[in-house]
Amino acid sequence: MYYLGIDIGSLSCDAVIIDKHENILAASVVPTGAKNKESIARVTDDVLRSAGISKSDIHGIISTGYGRDRVEDRLGAVTEITCHARGIKALIPNTKLLIDIGGQDSKSILLGQDGKVIDFAMNDKCAAGTGRFLEAMARALQVDIDDMANLDTGANGTLTISSMCTVFAESEVVSLIANATPVNEIVRGLNRSIASRTVSLMKRIAPDPLGMVVAMSGGVARNSGVVRAIGDLLGSKVFVPDSPDTVGALGAALIAKEKSNGRR
Amino acid sequence: MMLQYFKGLESGLQNAIQKGQASPRKLYSLEIARLGTRLYSGQDKVAWCGITAPFDVLNAMGMTSCFVEFIGAMLASTGVVGSFIDETDQIGYSSDSCSYHRAVTGATMKGLMPVPELLIGTTSPCSGGLAVLENIASHFNKQLFVLHIPQDESISNIQFLANQIREMVNFIRHITGISLDMDRLRLAVEHTNKTRELMVAVYDFAKQVPSPTTNKELSNFGIVMALFLGTEAAVHIAKSYYDEFEKRVKSNSGKSNEKIRLMWIQNRIQFKHPLESLLADEYKACIVVDELNDITWEPIDPNTIFEDIARRSISIPFNGTIQNRVKHLQKLAQEYKIDGAINPCNWGCRQGTGARGLIEDGLKEIGVPVLNLEVDCIDSRKFTEGQLKTRIEAFIEMIDARK
Ligand code: SF4
Repeated sequence: MYYLGIDIGSLSCDAVIIDKHENILAASVVPTGAKNKESIARVTDDVLRSAGISKSDIHGIISTGYGRDRVEDRLGAVTEITCHARGIKALIPNTKLLIDIGGQDSKSILLGQDGKVIDFAMNDKCAAGTGRFLEAMARALQVDIDDMANLDTGANGTLTISSMCTVFAESEVVSLIANATPVNEIVRGLNRSIASRTVSLMKRIAPDPLGMVVAMSGGVARNSGVVRAIGDLLGSKVFVPDSPDTVGALGAALIAKEKSNGRR
Repeated sequence: MMLQYFKGLESGLQNAIQKGQASPRKLYSLEIARLGTRLYSGQDKVAWCGITAPFDVLNAMGMTSCFVEFIGAMLASTGVVGSFIDETDQIGYSSDSCSYHRAVTGATMKGLMPVPELLIGTTSPCSGGLAVLENIASHFNKQLFVLHIPQDESISNIQFLANQIREMVNFIRHITGISLDMDRLRLAVEHTNKTRELMVAVYDFAKQVPSPTTNKELSNFGIVMALFLGTEAAVHIAKSYYDEFEKRVKSNSGKSNEKIRLMWIQNRIQFKHPLESLLADEYKACIVVDELNDITWEPIDPNTIFEDIARRSISIPFNGTIQNRVKHLQKLAQEYKIDGAINPCNWGCRQGTGARGLIEDGLKEIGVPVLNLEVDCIDSRKFTEGQLKTRIEAFIEMIDARK
């Protein structure tokens, strides 16, 4: 018996297959194209192929992410907040506070002992501090987004990026480049600006996060520079699972198993 | 345009009611349509007002009166609000100020607001509303009388406001030549008291588990009913709700599958949107109470009419300290046995800014989770359906998991 979780985000479509013992059989991440349906089909084919099973072997599908209603043959659609909480509980069991920064949303989630959501907060109207923000900044810096993680090495960290708005921050970065500001300082400044937004979001639901086990999921968690900056600001370590992008899909797969067994 | 709209609405509702499709909400909407028609007919003496104006006194004087935010809400519900809002950029309104006020100001600039005979401003609940009235007064070159609403209910404050209401009556007489007929006022007060009694009973029904109400039936009810106070129509509407809810409670035909009970803080979203249906259809979640659906005042004593009306204006939950507002919300949450509260946090709300965190803490203190949305309740162009849906769904999942 196998269960499939699919997370359709604004930047990537992620899928995870688990077996009845909740072992992860396969995981896949593909970029979300203009057509959701095609991306869903692609990520499903890909994860099935990696797991070496066919669709008829799947006992239940739960979808999540902003495109969650577009997945056919699903048992149900569950929000990414519940799914990330469920997924992180399986990977880092004592997590109390989870940060999930995806393509256009950032969320902080407070978990109970049982891994259930006690409270959550989401970024306000704009997408500052999310994956899209980082993409725009990488473009302005003319660097590869995947390389940004280590580009802040050696920075003294005195620079602050004052604009929170993606558009204004982009022009601020462009003028810093024009002023020959070293790239590592700019990247550190950007990381700190994301960290400060993220920590504010965390404090909305956990005013005193010190001493809590903090974990991070979502695509931006792959950027170790951002993770470090958040940890520095919090004064504690931020744990990141091996595949932060697929935490939501894993949570969805686990919920699919529970729902199939009639436990939820 | 607006006159046709209200006339069309009025005749459509009348037809439906005559065909036997009467419902409390239809009767309520019919009265809104009638008010709209009167405002735009060009025949009536119109008074544009602030939200806490004493509408029963104004009705007794034969003034067709309405708070300006009503027009903002109507423009939003008809889906044409965008161009009016944009118009106000030109006169210095910032794009993140309250869209109720921007819409009304835009409508004034575009010639869509009926020319008032006079204006009655109130300093509560927000300074933005008063500023709009000042703008309209200067646009039409009409006189504005401002009622300064004190923040708490001391004897001297009540006297202070009661005297202002008396002055308001003189102001209206001075401008229109209409005197206040005390017999008419006493009759209006009778209607007000009857309406009050019925509304208290309607709210008591709504408190029952399961509640006889649905997500939309009592939306905007308390605030709009204030406009009809002092009239027979208000009694009629309240009685219709009373009868319908009593019937549902007796026959137990309320939603027996009501799973989650919610409180809506401040105003509803005024344009068509899918969130209320989503709550009802997908999650069996019912908004059983709105912050403004409450009677916070005692019946008006015919011997102390002005004092009691003053007391009523001071008592509305939006007036006074945030602490008062929090206490009121806690009381509603307990009386209605709610599982969670949704605060739309209307963009640029002059009154709500700063209150959000205190309200959240106050409700959490009594075990009620709060979802803060970021919605412009008037401007549908800023409605981010996906984001809002995710927040609401996650909130309901969280409440569900706690049960
Ligand atoms: S939403 Fe706030 S600012 Fe706007 S009218 Fe209401 S109280 Fe005033």
